[in-house]
Amino acid sequence: MATEESEDHGHFLPAVRDWPRGYGEASWWPFVTAIGLLVVYTGASLYVIGRGTDLVSSSIGLGAFAAGWAVTVLGMFGWIYQAFIVDFWDRGSHNGGSSLRLGMLLFLGTDIATFGAGFAYYFFIRAGGWHTEYLPESGILTSVLVINTVLLVVSSFTIHWAEGQLQKGNHQGFIQGLLVTFLLGVVFIGGQIYEYYEFIVHEGFTLTSGVFASAFFGLTGIHGLHVSFGVLLLGILLVRGLRGQYDADRHVSVTTVSWYWHFVDAIWLFLVAVVYIGSVFGTEFSPF
Amino acid sequence: MAVSPELVFSVLMGLLLLVVAGWLTRLEDWQAYTPVGGGGYGESTGHGHEEKPAGLTRWLTTVDHKDLGILYSLFGIVAFAWGGITAMLMRVELTTPGMDFLASFGGVGLYNALLTTHGITMLFLFAAPLIFGFANYMVPLLVDADDMAFPRINAIAFWILPFATILMWAGFFLPLVGIDIQAAKTSWTLYTPLSSTMQGTGVDVFLLGFHLSGFSTTMGAINFIATIVAERDSVSVPWSKLDIFSWTILTQGGLILFAFPILTAAVTMLLLDRNFGTMFFAGEGGGAMLWQHLFWFFGHPEVYILVLPPMGLVSLILPKFAGRKLFGFKFVVYSTLAIGILSFGVWAHHMFTTGMNPRLTASFMAISLAIGIPSAVKVFNWITTLWNGKLRMTAPMLFSVGFVQNFIIGGVTGVFLAAVPFDLVMQDTYYVVGHFHFIVFGAIGFALFAAMYYWFPIMTGRMYDRRLALWHFWLSIIGGNITFIAMLILGYGGMPRRYATYLPQFMTWHAVATVGAFIMTFGVVAFIWNIWQSAQYGKRVDSGDPWNLKQSDQFTNEWQWYEGKRQTMLADGGEEDADDAESNAAD
Repeated sequence: MATEESEDHGHFLPAVRDWPRGYGEASWWPFVTAIGLLVVYTGASLYVIGRGTDLVSSSIGLGAFAAGWAVTVLGMFGWIYQAFIVDFWDRGSHNGGSSLRLGMLLFLGTDIATFGAGFAYYFFIRAGGWHTEYLPESGILTSVLVINTVLLVVSSFTIHWAEGQLQKGNHQGFIQGLLVTFLLGVVFIGGQIYEYYEFIVHEGFTLTSGVFASAFFGLTGIHGLHVSFGVLLLGILLVRGLRGQYDADRHVSVTTVSWYWHFVDAIWLFLVAVVYIGSVFGTEFSPF
Repeated sequence: MAVSPELVFSVLMGLLLLVVAGWLTRLEDWQAYTPVGGGGYGESTGHGHEEKPAGLTRWLTTVDHKDLGILYSLFGIVAFAWGGITAMLMRVELTTPGMDFLASFGGVGLYNALLTTHGITMLFLFAAPLIFGFANYMVPLLVDADDMAFPRINAIAFWILPFATILMWAGFFLPLVGIDIQAAKTSWTLYTPLSSTMQGTGVDVFLLGFHLSGFSTTMGAINFIATIVAERDSVSVPWSKLDIFSWTILTQGGLILFAFPILTAAVTMLLLDRNFGTMFFAGEGGGAMLWQHLFWFFGHPEVYILVLPPMGLVSLILPKFAGRKLFGFKFVVYSTLAIGILSFGVWAHHMFTTGMNPRLTASFMAISLAIGIPSAVKVFNWITTLWNGKLRMTAPMLFSVGFVQNFIIGGVTGVFLAAVPFDLVMQDTYYVVGHFHFIVFGAIGFALFAAMYYWFPIMTGRMYDRRLALWHFWLSIIGGNITFIAMLILGYGGMPRRYATYLPQFMTWHAVATVGAFIMTFGVVAFIWNIWQSAQYGKRVDSGDPWNLKQSDQFTNEWQWYEGKRQTMLADGGEEDADDAESNAAD
């Protein structure tokens, strides 16, 4: 059924050389990815069942959760490898990558909505009666915050610079810019972990510490996951770049990942202004 | 008892091993692999051997939009059966005022669980996937694209869905094998504090499945938008020639983009509240109001996510059997876009009785009344399309006309509800239930049936049984109107929704509603039997134009593609290939 129209319709065959070998227009990777997600969510379910009852130990749930992610990531890597990475130079680009660029923009649109729900909660409580006992004892504005913000803003410039070098044909400069961006991202995550550690262990300010803690850990947590995912994407770009991929004409994924990175940076600046500074504004912690 | 969850897990792992085993069997004849250019796929699996594994593997690995469209549709029909069974169990219970029929199975608790799963299933697992099924199959053909923009994401999005469904329905099936988790009894709106404090891990398992299913829908929406915008053949299908169904799918995608992530985020917060001690929806935090705002900010666009593509289907199908082009095509497109934009500004009309600021309620009332205007524009366009047309009362046409009829009742009752004073009286009564069932079954369901019959020849190569289709239509429209009008009357009488038992004064109309529901059920049985039988044994379609669309110059892209496919098959050597392709499609 699939092959007939592939001839008269000039069909785009996405998976002709898939591994393990597909069946014409077919691939195992989507199914593997979905199975992985099923195991992730089943693991989470078993974890919850284990906490709520004695039917199952919740560590089995955690194990399945981790195993599920491994399968999911395997599936996604297989898919991306087959669809984009192998034979990079031979396969040519499909409609100049405009579908992929649009796909990333649309994804970022959904992300605005995702963060929007979290911010809606925060505005909801911030606009109500606001008490400083919601905040950690020594305040929320730390030197780590300043350093992290600087790092992330700089990393937006470095990835932009790297992209520019690629377009000028300077592959070496592109790799260097990408590497610096990647390292800045890693250091940012380290800083975030350190900040969490300080709050949770030294200040006793944890996820369950009240209405502000929910907003703080919820929003910085989901942002941290986004940064981590971005670092993973930058790592993939880096490996592909080191293998000699990308040039001035073929760099769709560099563009889309850099959009993603700028987006995560912008969200961070909004988050700093609203959640960090906004939470102490008008209280005795306020530096202004 | 203690082993059982492990057992479930083992089964999942076993499934994974099966996949691995599947690879290995394929690896064996790795050398014999011929790339698709040489027609390898057809030779290696279609003709050589017909055992199940090859057939099954084909469906598990497909990234073809047409295969996935068929899979989505089959999944939608399975979910429809579950949604229908749960509805009938409730209707039988509601025949009498007391708790009797369900009493020995779980009583009021079971009723509440059925109520929850019926709503969730019909909206998220029947209507949306069936829409996606038709869109998957037809949109790439209608816009002259080679496939969806992201074929693999398309496949991931589909496969997530049945897996999420396993978790969403687990609360009903796990107790049967001795794992006593309670099915969610939160109602589909999941209002806090009920949902955040309700005991039982079944709620969490359900929420996790629900969470997962949201990713499927969002991925699908991104894919459809990218397909229509970037994969469309801009020479043969410029924006000015884009068909109405694709327009509605495009608008639907835009709504999903901003609505579904809100739901996913809200469900995440709910899960955190239930399991990790956060305070998102606790009284001190966001409370019940925040949940309602977030939920309905998603929930009202969701109504249009579900109804816009069916409107597109009717706008597409109705003119074909009226022998005229759609009247005022541009205005149907504009009204679609207008509804899409306005739909984000009406959510609080679900919350008029929560005691929110009266100035806010007034503005939400105004926008909710305003959204009736573009909806009415569409209705008048459909009616005018029929005016002086050469009507051919085929099954798809009957369902399209039935759609318009039901949509008028469902729509007008909705305009009443948008008015604050009326809503204050009718909130949480059966009037609301009657109103949205006219929309969800009477309109959305009818349009999907129309599409099923209209495109049945393309999707299966065969024709449905016309007599059964007529039975399906008449039983559905009569049964549907009996049930839902009875519900409206119950609402006027003050019968509150969501209850398993009621005062004896409501018994007559409840009995009427149940009778109507049985009539509908017979119609649905005729439908499923018809689809199942005709796909396998129905009369073969003998031309690329089974609806005589060329006569009225409406032989659109998907039919042209189908005609081309038939000619290619004949040129290829005829019968056997055609048989093969068709029986594959019918699987």
